[in-house]
Amino acid sequence: MRRLFAAFAVIVALAFMVNSAKAGNDFDYCLLCHGANANGNYGIRAPKLSGMEPWYLARQLENFASGARGLPAADVAGHEMRPVALRLKQEGVLEAAVKFIALLDSGRPPATLSGDLAHGKKLYETCAACHGTRGEGNAALQSPALAARSDWYLAAQLANYKAGLRGADERDIYGAQMRAIASTLPDDQAIADVVAYINTLK
Amino acid sequence: MKRAFSRRDFLNWAGAVGGSTAVYRAAMGIGLLPIAARATPLQLTASGKSKKVLILGAGISGLTSAYELNKQGYEVQVLEASFRAGGRNLTVRNGDRIDETGYPQVCNFDKDPDLYFNCGPARIPGHHVNLLGYCKELGVELEPFINDNRNAWVQDDAMFGGKPIRAREYLNDTRGFVAELMAKSMKPEQIAGPMTQDDWERLREYLKHFGELDPQFRYIGTSRAGLAKHDYTAPEVLKSPLSASELFKSKFMLIMSFGETDDQAAMMMEPVGGMDRIVAGFLRKVGHLVQLESQVQRIRVLPKGVEVTYRRNGEYVTTRADYVLNCIPMHLLAGIEHNFPADYSAGFTAIPRGKLFKIGFQMKQRFWEGEGIYGGISWTLQDIQQIWYPAHGIHRQKGVVLGAYTFDPNAGEKFARLPPAERFKLAIQQGAKIHPDYANHVESGVSIAWHQMNHMLGCAAQWDEALFKQWFARLQKPVGSHYLIGDQVSYHPGWQEGAIASAHHAIGEIDARVRAGGSQVVHS
Repeated sequence: MRRLFAAFAVIVALAFMVNSAKAGNDFDYCLLCHGANANGNYGIRAPKLSGMEPWYLARQLENFASGARGLPAADVAGHEMRPVALRLKQEGVLEAAVKFIALLDSGRPPATLSGDLAHGKKLYETCAACHGTRGEGNAALQSPALAARSDWYLAAQLANYKAGLRGADERDIYGAQMRAIASTLPDDQAIADVVAYINTLK
Repeated sequence: MKRAFSRRDFLNWAGAVGGSTAVYRAAMGIGLLPIAARATPLQLTASGKSKKVLILGAGISGLTSAYELNKQGYEVQVLEASFRAGGRNLTVRNGDRIDETGYPQVCNFDKDPDLYFNCGPARIPGHHVNLLGYCKELGVELEPFINDNRNAWVQDDAMFGGKPIRAREYLNDTRGFVAELMAKSMKPEQIAGPMTQDDWERLREYLKHFGELDPQFRYIGTSRAGLAKHDYTAPEVLKSPLSASELFKSKFMLIMSFGETDDQAAMMMEPVGGMDRIVAGFLRKVGHLVQLESQVQRIRVLPKGVEVTYRRNGEYVTTRADYVLNCIPMHLLAGIEHNFPADYSAGFTAIPRGKLFKIGFQMKQRFWEGEGIYGGISWTLQDIQQIWYPAHGIHRQKGVVLGAYTFDPNAGEKFARLPPAERFKLAIQQGAKIHPDYANHVESGVSIAWHQMNHMLGCAAQWDEALFKQWFARLQKPVGSHYLIGDQVSYHPGWQEGAIASAHHAIGEIDARVRAGGSQVVHS
């Protein structure tokens, strides 16, 4: 039986080689889920990637590959991303994928959430310390930009942090910081309010 | 923790495999309606000369459209994102690549015409007249497919300590008990309405034959449940009926009528050599019109015609056509740039995607035939839910068995989370509850997590009654010259017949528009 599983492992490894051999439009895989120009696809809960900082994308891909992110069973979307990141890592093309995303035209995604903007603005004061008053991010603090992102994704990640589905792995240092902050948001309404405010940032 | 299995779960199961029509029929109890033949046979009369039609997606609906429109003289181009045509009509054999986004696999079955696995559609009922019509027209040879087999097993940890019993035992012993109970407890005065003594006698006679009761209306066993042994030199000995209290503990009662439903009852068929012989049949006619590895990125509906931009070899290519037929799965279309009105595109994210999961195992020997099982399905209440035995290649050395086919999206996700080797391990563990020596027969496997398959990311669209009411008419109606097609835009999602019905509907409309002088009817 063990020999049989070893044989499967070889098959999977071979498949990696088959696919990476024709690297031509391999990264079009990203666009399948994340949409044209990687502007996101709510239909399958794949967030907008274009416009994300390369260092942030690389770190998240590393986290997915190592299992520091996307491992809990309840993180259904994270589970779909994990093996893809693992493949990029094993094929040694993780950085190339990040570069591919950086070349795409980034547009502002449509707003899908609404909330109490005044309340959201007040809540955002805490966020602004790291992510900037205009949601522009801060590379020195390793804090990504929040403006012009998929709003439903920001809300889903805040909920994931709160629920311990993200940022709970000790290898995810920055995620742990974010988890502590997210847990101060009392409920889904507070999440909607702060994300609705982020939608107004430019 | 085992979740309670509700009637709603059964309807969901029925829906997952039979499409939502099955849900309606099951729920509304109208399964006895006569089979309807094709409502209006496709008749295209307009000449498509100097009209260009662009078809997005080379699944069954796209290929049907290409085939029919090409016959009418239209200029046809089919753009397909994948390295292969066929969509969810996928058969894998030795050396074939399974393009799952996270876990790509290569099929390692022996090179042999009988050793294939139908990863998507795998059976055709006799009333799918359009699909059968194309099989005939394209020279796709068909053979009987065995769906329901009374000799196959039923296994549930909730009854008989998890020991499998033959399907014929479950079905006929429960029927016998129910018939005896009714025959003995029902009194003429309990039945509303006029009932004569003769009516009453006839009803009792029916119950006697329904459950095969003895002259005293007792159920003491039936040959329908199988003989204790098949020694034809000695008198027949019936099996003793199984314990009714054990039988009724199982939620198998919710799926026991699967093989009697409209789309699942005998007589069913499959193409000789694999379901993708249908794709091959279409490609013999229109393969030269299909361009692979062309992933659509943008669709713009113009005042006249439609403009489509796709990526090929890392380059963007833009093309225009008078009409576009689009079978890209709606949940992927939601991520493509477009200028559709919001009341149309909002539908793309409103219909949940299916998450069906399948495993195929090549077996060293056809051990099930030694158990008297030739084709059909064993059922279990475990995650794998089903084991299918091939109806072709009978008495040869090896065979490919379906080792898991989950209808429950939670089970689909559970398997999809695992790397292939772990999926096989889990399916083998569960299969061993039905066939104790199962692990020793498995030689190699393939797994298909439809919601992680490249360019699909989902199985049949999961419509329900409320969604049909809210979205179907809107999504079926064109936007300018852009038509959404595929089984996703039919009342029979999850079946090739649904895909063909949607294609016929759209090309029928195009034919009428061209006949009317090519005027562009712009729907807003």
